[in-house]
Amino acid sequence: MGTRILTVEDDERIRTAVRLALEDEGWEVDEAETGEDALASFGAQPADVVLIDIMLPGIDGFDVCRSIRRMSDVPIVMVTARADTHDVVAGLEAGADDYLTKPFAPKELSARIRALLRRARTHEIASTHLSFGDLEIIPEEGVVLRDGRETHLTKTEFRLLIELASPAGRVLSREELLEKIWGYGYFGDGRLVDVHIRRLRTKIESDPANPRHVITVRGMGYKLQQ
Amino acid sequence: MTNPISARTRPRRRTRIIAPVRRRFGLRRRLILTLTLGTALLSIVLSIITFGLTRQNLYSQREQTSIDQAELDAARITGLLSSSTSPEGVQSALQAISRNESTEILLRYNDQWYSAPRSTFNSTEIPQSVSTNASSGTVAHEFGEVDGQRSVIVGVPLEQLNGQLYTATSLQDIEETLRSLTLSLLGAAALTTVAGAIVGYWATRRVFAPLQDVGNAAESIAGGRLDTRLPIGRDRDLDVIAGPFNEMAQALEDRIERDARFASEVSHELRSPLMTLAASIEVLENSKDEMTERAQTALHLLAADVDRLQQLVDDLLEISRFDVGAITLHREDVTAVEVVMQAVGILGGGKLPVTYDPDVTDVVIRVDKRRFARVMANLLDNAQKYAGGATEVTIDCVDDMVQIGVEDSGDGVSEEERDIIFDRFSRGREGGNRSGDSGVGLGLALVDEHIRLHGGKVWVEERRDGQPGARFVVELPIVEPPLTEEDENAET
Repeated sequence: MGTRILTVEDDERIRTAVRLALEDEGWEVDEAETGEDALASFGAQPADVVLIDIMLPGIDGFDVCRSIRRMSDVPIVMVTARADTHDVVAGLEAGADDYLTKPFAPKELSARIRALLRRARTHEIASTHLSFGDLEIIPEEGVVLRDGRETHLTKTEFRLLIELASPAGRVLSREELLEKIWGYGYFGDGRLVDVHIRRLRTKIESDPANPRHVITVRGMGYKLQQ
Repeated sequence: MTNPISARTRPRRRTRIIAPVRRRFGLRRRLILTLTLGTALLSIVLSIITFGLTRQNLYSQREQTSIDQAELDAARITGLLSSSTSPEGVQSALQAISRNESTEILLRYNDQWYSAPRSTFNSTEIPQSVSTNASSGTVAHEFGEVDGQRSVIVGVPLEQLNGQLYTATSLQDIEETLRSLTLSLLGAAALTTVAGAIVGYWATRRVFAPLQDVGNAAESIAGGRLDTRLPIGRDRDLDVIAGPFNEMAQALEDRIERDARFASEVSHELRSPLMTLAASIEVLENSKDEMTERAQTALHLLAADVDRLQQLVDDLLEISRFDVGAITLHREDVTAVEVVMQAVGILGGGKLPVTYDPDVTDVVIRVDKRRFARVMANLLDNAQKYAGGATEVTIDCVDDMVQIGVEDSGDGVSEEERDIIFDRFSRGREGGNRSGDSGVGLGLALVDEHIRLHGGKVWVEERRDGQPGARFVVELPIVEPPLTEEDENAET
């Protein structure tokens, strides 16, 4: 079965054009006009990547994002109006893995989707069992145990944890993480890292406000410790 | 009724005379000057009146006592001379009535002049009117000089004897009193004048402070902070200015915001069709090989102009967001060299040289990296479009600023174009030439907005090596302190 992409977009012309462009890449495309349609479609047949326009009639893109996130850890790309608005952070906090601003080139979308699909293959990075105090990471199974209990991470969060865990104790800058995980260069959006770190902390830290494992190193980046 | 023509010309003639004074001194200085001169004039007039009254008072008092005393002396000497008329007797009588230093006595008795011992009063010093009156039996007095001192000279006829008594009472003590009074009054007048000036300075400052506030507020609005308002309710009288001023500022802000919002909404509306266009063109490009050559050319044109349109909409949206102040910066501390090298590396394809002195290596600037990349992209783009590409990028420190220069080898920018080149839709000499891949004229305006938001400046000048070409300089403030060793390790 090929890769399925669900696009949620209320403008029919954009939806069609994007579908045509994505089909040219060899992917199967499901279309949804509203948030309700999207949830119904995803419930019936889960996609491998979901593309959501934030501005939707009815339930908005953030809600769709949250609802899908509750069902699945599928990679989500959201489409926002502007890169410098709060929409980006709100969307990432709602569970999106990456974002694009309108109008984007379909080539850019394809690149994002490919980066997200790569992320699912975490076992290429590390295969050994890693342990950080009360935290256990089993890369080949894609499982993280906190105090022996499994904590559910999305693929991006898991990849982020693995990247931080691999060079144990070393500080990784935002730029490095952006490049390794999202495939962005030096001028990528640091908020992608910051919001995902925040989300990761709520899942693996006993007190996310005072993290013990994922430490911010001021002016430098992040590191993982015992 | 006045002739309308003269009514119109009269004030004009007035202003012609007053205007230079106004311009030279300004309202506040003129007010202070007026207050100072006013107090000076008032205190001088008051001093003169005080002095005159005091002087008159003291003189008439002295006059009266001198007359009374002279009459008393005349009565006493009449008594004394009735018992002894010998010259010795006269002398001792004179001595007896001599009271003090300040009064000199002369006696004319039996056509002989007698004076008290050591007296300097001399008969020639008696004014004519006094001696005439006294001789004819009337008490008379006059002011005159005795031994060089101003005195009141009184002549009293000695009725039972053939003679007259003359006294000269010095006015020196009064003169001295008046002199010290003059000094005191002058001092007081000077103090009052100074006080007047101080009050004037203080009062006008109080009065003009709100004007200064209005000026500052207007300047702040002109500088782009459209939400600047004057405080209301501090002073009822000042609200007369503050109220309308704020209304004006609000109207201006609304107007500008409306214009900017319109541009923003237009660009927003254009994004959806552009999205469809961009995606559709890509689909078409995927099957380009199946098209005829003519169709391919058309597709190429379409793609290029959709690109351009997209850039324009993007820029327009961005600049309208600057106008409504909706831009938020995500600033980070980065070394200038690193961020410039990264931007130039990505945009310049690794061929464009970046030169900097070793002392610039650790200089840190606080920028929104993606906006900074946009600035560099626009500058390099500009060089590409108008000068065949940038030739060099430089980084320098000038005082507490870092200057990033982008040089090209084009025709340069003429003096008169150097300011307007950063205006929206200005395109220098190429303006109006829309052939080829010329830009849309928002790039440099955006650079200007971005850099100003970062607290910096951008301008264009001659190339530093004197060769033909332009040098665009972005100046940004340096952030202290520079990176520590640890930070540098983290970059490796």
